Amino acid sequence: MSEKPLTTPAPEMEKPARILPPLVSGQEWALVGVLLVLWILLGFFTPAFLTASSVRPLLGSVAPIALIGVGMTFIIITAGIDISVGAGIMVTAVISARLMVEVDLPLWGVIPTAIVLGLILGLINGLLVAYGGVHAIIITFGTLNLFQYLGLRIFGSQTVNGIPGTLDIFGNGAGGRVFGIPVSFTIAVVVMIAGWWFLRNTAWGRSFYAIGGNQNAARLAGIPVQTRVLSAYVVTGGLVGLGALMVVAQGTNSLMQNVGQGRELAVIAAVVIGGTTIMGGRGSVFGTLLGAILVQTVVTGVTQLGWPSNLANFFVGLFIIISVGADMLRARARKKSL
Amino acid sequence: MTQTTVKKKAPQKEPTSERGHALLGAFQRFGMTLLTQRPALLGLVTVVLLLVMSIMDAQGTLSGPYDVKYLASSTISLVGLAMLALAQLIVIVSGRGGIDLSVGSMVSLSGIFFGFSYGVWGWSLFAAIVATMLIGAVLGGINGVLIAYAGFPPLIMTLATYYAYRSLALVFSGQKPVNSERIQEFYGAAKAVPIPGLSFIPPIPLGVITFLIPTAIIVWIVMNKTVYGRKLYAIGTNDVAALWTGINVKATRMGAFVLSGLISSLVAIYTVAQFASARPDAGTSGSGMALPAITIAVLGGVAITGGIGRVGGVLIAALLIVWLNAGILLAIPGNIGAQTPLLALGLVLIGASLLNAATKKRFGGI
Repeated sequence: MSEKPLTTPAPEMEKPARILPPLVSGQEWALVGVLLVLWILLGFFTPAFLTASSVRPLLGSVAPIALIGVGMTFIIITAGIDISVGAGIMVTAVISARLMVEVDLPLWGVIPTAIVLGLILGLINGLLVAYGGVHAIIITFGTLNLFQYLGLRIFGSQTVNGIPGTLDIFGNGAGGRVFGIPVSFTIAVVVMIAGWWFLRNTAWGRSFYAIGGNQNAARLAGIPVQTRVLSAYVVTGGLVGLGALMVVAQGTNSLMQNVGQGRELAVIAAVVIGGTTIMGGRGSVFGTLLGAILVQTVVTGVTQLGWPSNLANFFVGLFIIISVGADMLRARARKKSL
Repeated sequence: MTQTTVKKKAPQKEPTSERGHALLGAFQRFGMTLLTQRPALLGLVTVVLLLVMSIMDAQGTLSGPYDVKYLASSTISLVGLAMLALAQLIVIVSGRGGIDLSVGSMVSLSGIFFGFSYGVWGWSLFAAIVATMLIGAVLGGINGVLIAYAGFPPLIMTLATYYAYRSLALVFSGQKPVNSERIQEFYGAAKAVPIPGLSFIPPIPLGVITFLIPTAIIVWIVMNKTVYGRKLYAIGTNDVAALWTGINVKATRMGAFVLSGLISSLVAIYTVAQFASARPDAGTSGSGMALPAITIAVLGGVAITGGIGRVGGVLIAALLIVWLNAGILLAIPGNIGAQTPLLALGLVLIGASLLNAATKKRFGGI
């Protein structure tokens, strides 16, 4: 007697393979190539470029841009944007600096304070964008002005002087390195890897792409669009808080009122050069890190070549146009292959 | 029923059926007009502002008189602001995320060119102005070609040229203001003059008459009375439909950015006169000229999605902001007073855009 099961078991269904995007995209390879060529050329023409004393501050100044860029990548993938990060840096920087000067707040106090401040600013942006029904660029233009007002009021029409060395671990000095690598850069890389994993492997991360691709489709697919969008701005806010500390640490021991000004554009430039589409739905944080390195390489390279330092921004603009153009060409090819 | 509840209940239907409640209907119509006609709302807010400031003035809480003369002289900051807001109107109306972040940089770069050509190379005023406007049109045209024909997103394209033009302005000028005797004499173009024959009006800055009013009239005519203007609204509302009606969508969209560059170059010439020197950071110092211009356009009822927006709304919005700032400077003395306009601008922008979104959702218009 053979023991036959009463019901035949369902044929072994093959689990649908998880569809994951490639580890490294085309734009990122291209960027790596451009960076290598640039570094070799710069090393060839300016002997000072490929030395530790030149590369270290370069990586240090990449850190805040790349760090905030991770959050900005999230936002831009959801088809949003945050123009207020520069002003957010200003608010957190001046509050942290004054706390360090006036009540001698230690490092373990400054870091959470700055991050919480940043999270609050991000929450304001996120709530207005997610629930206001207005395009993010308009909302964050508005909060940019509000944050600037707030920052200037806290400055109280004078610079913050005599900032102690509390934040040296984020700075460009010897105290800011472990194994010769700037700590701030290491933090940025760690956050980037976390963001990369989050975007690629978690449902929450994938939903950013869905929202950016088609917000209505995402909503119909059951994604809580508003909370997800809110989360992207809040995360960015927290990273702005941490990035602001790096900005303070890398500056002199007095904080000027123009701190953070224009940083939003540098961050957006890094994200866009990294291959993230401003229309939403595509992008990666690895590209953003490469974009940030490229922007800072151009800035450092132009000064070391002895060219007018203002020319750097011309090249940044040019790189934005080239990388967006390349992205559009690939988008066209993708459409054809479908 | 009190008036407030009437206003809240107003948005139901055409209030024509309410024959028995003529008064109620009038209130409803009034409420609807305020919500759907942005110039009406802005006009009301401006009147309220002037009233409040006048009362404060009468009570002596201001540090200076808030009178007609002060209001007239404060319009000197209206000129550049309102003109660039009109540029944003044109670009934003063209749709597809149209926006121009590079106006400040175009002001800087074409201003430097004007400084050199008129002040240093000794061109005639007419030739210098025409050449500067040509430069502005070319700078805007670069934006326009890549946006309309190559399909670049306007936000990113104009961000890139914001960087590039600003950088070129600083490099060409060697980071120094361009200055010469001729440019300093040109200052006369910006000073306040009484209007001949209308002596009861206090002297208003000459730029209002020579730059702002002609620009506003021309933009109004272009937007409302020309085929091009109607095409612009058409492509902003639905560019696919516009394409099927035979409109050259790409050329029309590019034209919007060329016009924006053209207006920027006019602002550049005015700014040179105002500061009596061509500053390489004229349009980009601080948070730049683009942000306030976009703010005023949105406050004036221009929908960021395109196709909606009027010249009148933008002009009243600009006037409101300028007089509000002028009032703040008197009401709050010192540094805080100089910073409060930022707060006002931010709050007004967020408030206006939320209002835009809400009225559009409920009534389909602004």
